[in-house]
Order: sequence, then C-alpha cells, then structure tokens
Amino acid sequence: MSLFEQEIERLLSRRGLLKTASAASLAAMLGTGSPSLMAAPDKIKPLKPTADSVILLWMGGGMASPDTFDPKRYEPFSIGLPANKILSTFPAINTAVDNIKITKGLENVASVMDKASLIRSHVVADLGNILHSRHQYHWHTGYIPPQTVAAPHIGSWISRLLGPINPAIPAFINIGQRLEGNGEQEELKAFTTAGFLGSEYGPFNLPFPADAVSAVQPPKGMSSQRYESRQRALKAMIKESPLGDVASDYHQQSMLRSIDNAHRLLSSKDRDAFDLTKEPKASYDAYNTGHFGQGCLLARRLVESGARFIEVTTEYIPFYHWDTHENGHETYARMKNEIDRPIAQLVKDLDAKGLLDRTLIVLASEFSRDMMIEGVPGSTAKDQSRVGTEKMEKMAQYGLHRHFTGSGSVLMFGGGMKRGYLHGETAPERPLVTIKDPVSISDLHATIFTAMGISPATMFETEKRPFYVTVDGKGKAVKDLFAKSPA
Amino acid sequence: MINRFSRLFALSVCLLMPSVVMADDAPAKVAEVDFTHDMVPILRARCGKCHTNGVAKGDFAMDTKASFLKSDAISAGKAAESELIERIKSNEKEFKMPPEGPRLSAKEVATLTSWINQGVPWEPSFSFRQSTYEPPLKPRKVTLPVAQAGFEHPIDRIVKSYWDQNKLSPPPVVDDLAFVRRVYMDLVGLLPPSVEVERFQSDSDPNKRALLVRRLLDDRPAYADHWLSFWNDLLRNDYKGTGFIDGGRRPISRWLYQSLLDNKPYDTFVHELISPTKESDGFVYGIQWRGRVNASQVRELQFAQNVGQVFFGANLKCASCHDSFVDQWKLDDAYGLAAIVADKPLEINRCDNPTGRMAQARFLFPELGSIDPKASKEERLRQTADLVVHPDNGRFRRTIVNRIWLKMFGHGLVHPVDAMGTPPWSADLLDYLANYLVDQRHDLKALTAHIATSRAYQSACSPHSENVAVEDYKFIGPELKRLTAEQFIDALWTITGTSPEKPVAPVTQVSVAQDSPTKGPKVRASLMDCDALQRSLGRPNREQVVTQRGELLTTLQALDLANGQRVSDLLKTGAAKILADHKGQPIEKIIDKLFEGALSRLPKPAERGTAREILTDKPTPDTVADLIWVVVMLPEFQLVR
Repeated sequence: MSLFEQEIERLLSRRGLLKTASAASLAAMLGTGSPSLMAAPDKIKPLKPTADSVILLWMGGGMASPDTFDPKRYEPFSIGLPANKILSTFPAINTAVDNIKITKGLENVASVMDKASLIRSHVVADLGNILHSRHQYHWHTGYIPPQTVAAPHIGSWISRLLGPINPAIPAFINIGQRLEGNGEQEELKAFTTAGFLGSEYGPFNLPFPADAVSAVQPPKGMSSQRYESRQRALKAMIKESPLGDVASDYHQQSMLRSIDNAHRLLSSKDRDAFDLTKEPKASYDAYNTGHFGQGCLLARRLVESGARFIEVTTEYIPFYHWDTHENGHETYARMKNEIDRPIAQLVKDLDAKGLLDRTLIVLASEFSRDMMIEGVPGSTAKDQSRVGTEKMEKMAQYGLHRHFTGSGSVLMFGGGMKRGYLHGETAPERPLVTIKDPVSISDLHATIFTAMGISPATMFETEKRPFYVTVDGKGKAVKDLFAKSPA
Repeated sequence: MINRFSRLFALSVCLLMPSVVMADDAPAKVAEVDFTHDMVPILRARCGKCHTNGVAKGDFAMDTKASFLKSDAISAGKAAESELIERIKSNEKEFKMPPEGPRLSAKEVATLTSWINQGVPWEPSFSFRQSTYEPPLKPRKVTLPVAQAGFEHPIDRIVKSYWDQNKLSPPPVVDDLAFVRRVYMDLVGLLPPSVEVERFQSDSDPNKRALLVRRLLDDRPAYADHWLSFWNDLLRNDYKGTGFIDGGRRPISRWLYQSLLDNKPYDTFVHELISPTKESDGFVYGIQWRGRVNASQVRELQFAQNVGQVFFGANLKCASCHDSFVDQWKLDDAYGLAAIVADKPLEINRCDNPTGRMAQARFLFPELGSIDPKASKEERLRQTADLVVHPDNGRFRRTIVNRIWLKMFGHGLVHPVDAMGTPPWSADLLDYLANYLVDQRHDLKALTAHIATSRAYQSACSPHSENVAVEDYKFIGPELKRLTAEQFIDALWTITGTSPEKPVAPVTQVSVAQDSPTKGPKVRASLMDCDALQRSLGRPNREQVVTQRGELLTTLQALDLANGQRVSDLLKTGAAKILADHKGQPIEKIIDKLFEGALSRLPKPAERGTAREILTDKPTPDTVADLIWVVVMLPEFQLVR
C-alpha cells in the first residue's frame, strides 16, 4: 500500500466505526469542496463536556412566554375587557421551586422545576417582517438568513464535531417535522440541513414518531428474511464484480462502508429504540398526548441507546399549534396539555435512569407573543393578529396573537445545568421586554456547545473563509447556568 | 542538510549526553493527536519561520504532509527512529531544533512524538504555504509542445509534456466499454442503450470515439436535459424553493433550457444573463427575502457575489462586508458591482453599518473598461455584460473551461473551481482551452468535444485527490465520479421503463431525433421538482450558488436507497413491468437485460449464478425488484469510471 492508500484506509476505517473521531480527520470524508476545520489555536481547545447528548424540544410557531413560563398579570376573559389590559390569559401556578411560577396547564412541568434552569430573558433578533421560518432558521443555525453559504443546523455541527455515540444510532435525529406537503416547506428545508458540512452530517428525519421504526426497517412489504438475503446477494455480487481490482478506490471504499453502515442501522438490535410498540403500555400512556408526546418518548429511548443530538418538535405548520393568530387562549390550553406530561415524564425518566446529568434538554421557540405589540416596541412590522380588537367581544380574540421578540423563555434540564435556577427577568408591565441578563441565540448556542465540550469559537474554513459555530466565534456561554463553572 | 551521517551523530550524542528533557516531570500521554488543534500551533510557532512558506533551511520544508514526509528526519509511525524528535529534545548547540528560543516543553515533545507515532495525521489539503500567486486577467497565447506519437491532440501535447516534466508515465487508455459509459454519463447523463454499446464495440472505424462524442452532443434534448442541472445549480434556478413563495425570485427555466437546446454561444449566453431579457432576468434579480436582511445580502450584493463567483471564480462574499482578509477583494469592489444593478443610490455598509459613502458603479477588473455610473440601469448592465465577455477578459474563459474540465475529470485545472486565484496545475492547458473556446466562437459543445476526444480524458481513472494540497496535486488522469441524484434516478427510470409523464419545469421540449444515440426516460429528473429522494441523493437547495456536489455516498443516502419508500415503490413498479415484458421467456433473458441495461455487459458466470438465486426459478415482482436493487447498488453502477 502506498502512503496515500494507507491514509485513506486509516480515514475510512475510522469512519467505518463511526466512532467519535477527532474532527479534523473527518474532513476528508466529505465530498468535494469540503470544508476543513481550522485552528484559531489559542481559543479552540476542546472543553471538558458536561453533557453527552442534547434533546431540543422545539415549540415551533412562536410560543408566548406570558402564557407558558413567564406569567404576568392574569385577566380572565370577559366581554368588553380592554385588550391592552391583557398580559397573560392563564393564571400563574406554583412550581417545585419557591421563586418560580409558571402558568396553569403546566402542572407536571411545574413539579419537576426543581430539576430545571429557566431562562426568561432569551432575546432573539428582530428581522423586520417577523417571519417564522426565517427566525427558525436563525435559531437553528445561529445565523440570520440569507447566508452566502448554506449554514448548518446546530445538530449538524454537533454531529460533525462529535459524531454518534452509538454507531447504530444516527448522530442527528429530527423528530416530528414534516418537510413535504406542508406550508413553508422550502423554508424549513433551508435550515434542516448540514449545509456546507455535507450531507453525512444532515438530519435523520423521523416526521412521524409513531412510525419511526419504519425508517430503520426494511421497506414496507419486505420481510426481514428477504431483506437479509438481498443484502447477502449484494455482498456476493460485489465480490464477483470483474471490477474488483479497483476495490481500493476511495469512492468505492466509502460507498461500501456507507452501504454497510446503512445495513447495520437496519439490522442492529438497537433499532428497537425506534419502535414505540416495544415500550411498556403504562409508560407509553404516560407520554402519549399525541405527536409531540410520542416524540418525547422516542427521544428518551434513543438517548438511552446512545443518540447524540435529537430535536423533537411540536411541528411547525403555518397558523397551527403555537402559531396562534387567533383563538390563542384555547389553542394554548390544548398545546400545554400536549407538552406538559411528556416533558415532565422525560425529565423524570432520564433522571431515574441516571441519564439526566449527561443529557441536556433545551426547550425553546423562535420568538414569543404578545397581545398588543408586533415585533418589538416601535416596530412597523405587519400586524399578525387576525382578530385585532380593542375590546374582547368573543373568545377567539382572547390570546397572544402578535409575534414578540423582546423576550422569550427557554427551559433547560440536566447536562450540567443548575437545578431549580431562574435566569433573567422581564418587565412586569407591557412592553414585556427583558430587563435583566439578556441571552441571545449566539450565547444560548455557546452554552449548548460548551456543555457538549465544543468551544463556541470553533471554526471551519469553507470557500477559504472562516465559518464559526457561533457568529464570528463570539458566542459566550452563560456561565451562571452551569452547576459547576465550565472548563 | 539532514542526512544519514547526522543521524548517526545524533544517536551518539544522545548516548553521550542523556537528555535533560527526559528528566522533566513525565509528560502525560497524548491519546489522539489532533493536527489542527495540537500540531499546527507548535509547528507554526517553532518551526514555521525556517521550514515553511518557501523557506527550507537544511533542505527541509514542511508546508504539506508530502513535503514533510520527504525528509529523512521523519519516520512516520516511528518517533523513536525520527531524527526530528532527537533534535527537539537535544541541547547540543549545532544539532538542536529549534536552534533559537526556549526548548519545546515536555508536553510539546510528547505531542510531537505521539503525532509521529500515529503516522503524522495531517489536515487534508492543509498547507502552511501562503499563496503569492496572481491570477492573470488577459488571455495568453500558448505555444504547443512538440507532438509525440500517440499524443497528437493539442490537449495531449500539453499534458504529455507536463507528465514528462513531472516524471509521470501516462495512464493506459480505457477500453471501449468504459469509454462508452463514461462519455454517455458525462455528456448526456444517461446510460448507453445496449444496442449502441454493441454497435460501438464492433465498429472498426478508428475515428469511432470522436464520432460518438459528436453524436451525443448533437442529441439536443439529451444534452439540454443533462446540462440543465449543472446550470440550475450554478445560476440557482429551480422550480420551487425559498423566495418563490411570494414572487421574490424569478425562474429562468424556459430561457435556460432553450439556450441549452440551441447551444447558445457562451458569450451570448452570459451577455443575456447579465443584460437580460424578461425571460432571463432571474439571475440578475436574485432573491428578495422577506423582512430585513443583512446589508451584505441585499439583492444588489447578491448580484455582485454571483457575478464574481459564477463567471470569474472570485469570492466576493467576504468583501461584501469588509475588505477581504483572505484575498485581494475590497469592500469597494463588491459595492462597485452592486451599484451597477442598484435602482437607487446605494450606500456602502461595512459589517452591516452604514459608512456614509455611496457606491460607485465599477467593474471588477477596471483595466478592461469602465461603466458610466450616470447611465440608466439597463445601460449599465449592458456595459457590464460587454466587459464580462470582453475579448481581453481571459479570466471569464478560464473560469468556464475549468468548470467543464471539472465536470469531465472530477478535479479542476484550478481547484477548487470557485477559487480562480489558485494556481492551475497547468497554466498552459488552462490558457490553451480558454483560447480554444474563443476560436470556436464560444461553442461549449465544441469545447466539450475537444476535451472528450483527448487521450487525457480517455485515460484510466486515477486515485482520488480532493484532499491533496494544491502544490502537491499531480494530474494523472480523470477521477471516478459518483452518479448525481439526477443521473441515478434517470438510470433507474431507464432500466425499469418508468418515469413521470410531464415535466414540472416550464420549458419547451423538443422531440427526440430518429437516429438519437440515447434512450432515456420520457421525462428526466432534472425537469422535476426536487423530491425527497433527489434531495437525499444530493440535489441542492438552490438558494446559494452550487458548483460541486458531494462526491461520496453517505450513510443516510445508502439508507434511503436501502429502505426509502420512493426507491422501493419505483423498484416494485419497474419489476412488474419487466416481468410483464418477459412473460413466457426464460429467466436468463431478464438477467441479461438487466445487466446489459444497467452495466452495459453480460454477467460473468458467478454473477449469473447469484442473479439466478435472487430471481428463483419462478421470478416474482419481488425477486425481480431485488435483482434490480442489487445491480443498481453496485459501485460499478453508481460510479462513472
């Protein structure tokens, strides 16, 4: 073997194992024009991680914090109630932590608040026209669209830099979001991608958690016996190929490894993790509030099996779920019912299994909502309320229907974060802007990266220019959130 | 100079003078050395001054991995036998390295030792050398080297001389079968029909390869269908996608497709893109994003970036925010281009902050001519288009011939192709081809034919070179290419006799000629929306300009091929059709047809045996589907050799 071939062999065998490899060597595995990890040597030393896995619970559509995790003065619905008097449409409830109150409908989450760090001062950029998909792009990549190079999803960064924990579980799994046949699908695809890092690090999409196992099973209608014999036949045919003499080629080798990896996914014992029917009924029922609850259960099973980064979404569909442009109050009652039990159950289960300490759960949304203000105070963005009114006349008008970027709530559990901790504060009266310890997307990402042992200044060179995991490498981890100061 | 003698000397020194360094606190074992993080800082700080970037004291340069390993002082995998380690540990005045400054710390020595023991892992394509190369703008006449026997084609005259200079021997020329498959895939993106393969193989005309190349390029619809993907990627045109949601983006599909059908001369083609008609103005228009965007991403700057990248391989993305730190482009260069297309005066922003200065319309290469800033926008665009295609604009031609070369060889003359500021591996060849394009009145088919008829193109595949540093790259032949999403799907549709009925792309198709050498699907994948399978296989979101797609099959892609619903539905339909077509015939016919259709050859006995086992004596749609799957999963099928 020539040195060149040895080098290829070394790279391939490392990828074949799909184990956590030093990031630099993996650059070779990408296609052409592959970005390379470059040093900003003084800043970029890997950190000591406080978490091995991330579960991002995505509240797609803009979750109003005053009606979820940041209760303000409550005004119950009544005919003739002036809209500008309304801050919250749900009363506050107590939680397991004395100084933290959240809103009615989240009683189960309230009961595990002693394991949470709650940020109330998440401030996202105001991008003029307050559009969901652009803000979601910003939140998931850390970069405001458009970008001149395709920016990677945070899950792809983590997949690229850390790789999978278990080779049979893809490093970046995306649960619950359909990408075909729904509104703004192209805009969603734009950030549901590894971008310039290359598709090896892209999301493993499981739009329907209840059917997740089909993604790791032989195609519908094919018995596992048939599948295995087809795979054996392929192996035989590759061996018999008269072109076997070029078998050492880089492309061919990597192709065969990928085929093997795919086969491993489809035949590994670990694929049971994808199968919700394998969950005991009582436990299944505890989670099963629907799509999102099933997603949380799937996430728990996958983390137990060694998943690296999982996103579970309530699913963004324009004007559905958290995206309330009318009838907000009633919709929020339903949404909270959908998320409350499974989130609490996820936290409890992971804690009971001893996994919460090394699993960072992050609940977030692209922006918050307000009864009166679109964007931030003074914004001229288009009014998004479909039922704008000065006085309440009917229930459909009661709710936080305008997009608000001045503050938002992020809930975190485990992964080295403090337990029972409240960070940041918002004004008691409208405008409900952040008045203490603002946390930007960049800083929140830096916190997640730092917890995972990745310096926020980590940089890749693509097209001969630097591209950082946080904008300009300047994201600062929020040190106060960490139970022990990060290295 | 480091030589054997000094190595012996070093050993004796070590014996006589036990190293002080070793007496330090025992250095921690470095588990896995990361080149970028652990090595680059040490090498750059302590060795770089004398051994990188053109300086090679003691004849030792370590700019690239290859040059590093050339030295006798390093024995990869064996630190104990590497003089380098002895020298960095030594305190001997004449012997120690680095000769000045403090000694390396124990930890640094341990890191270097582990690094060598681990076989000198190096960041692929990394080089310490800073490029001082200045790409030429004007065309340059090239004197062809003397022809040698078998190397009469002008491309081969240059390449042979290059090989001679680099002491490389020419690779063998591929056989007819490999040539047919390669040229079909590269020129029209389709599998060759088996009758054409047979005819070609039995044809004794010595000129048959050139004739086939001509026939393929003359197949207007096949050529247009195939190259549409290349241009859609390059001009970020698509049928749906971000921006189309509210008319913030204008497709140019109809104009583009017609231009390919007509083989519009490249200078006219680009002139029409920059000084557009209503049908071709989508490229200049760019994407109007909803909401507020960064100053560097307004449509005017998209224009600057895209004109720079697509037509000149010049990256103005950095310079759209500030003077570039990595090349010569300045903020004013980007804004100069942007101002051309601005409807109203454009204020220069630096890093999204207004500077108070107004942009002045100016071409990227002012030495070619100026643009009248006072003229109307239409006139400014016309003047710009004139300068882009200006006869003295050699960079414009070099950029496109390099892109075509990449498509055919898998590695550019300048690589990566979007960085035309990088030195080519053969300036003569690049300049010659650029001149050839001009001589041929910018006929891209003529250029493609010229390349395809060279011996260089018809050479056997060489090992992959993507991660070799620019100065270490040596051209030794074309590289393997993986089928693109569109090629793979078209091939599958061809084999199974299935395909959509109507294109999604709003284009005017022409009918296939009677004597067409191709027999592709009714509608090609390039004319359809990017569905989940195409997306998975690498067709990009066309929000950014894409000039190269991922070359390796990834795990997720392999998974999609193994169990994706789209593929398995397609196989099912196709299998039923094949089975129906072969009703009452022996199963050998099915096997032969599949092998001939997909691999352009009959199966070897062992393969036939396996195929029979898959099909069973009584083939069913399931067993036929499995055989198709096995055949299309073969690297022989998925890679263009």
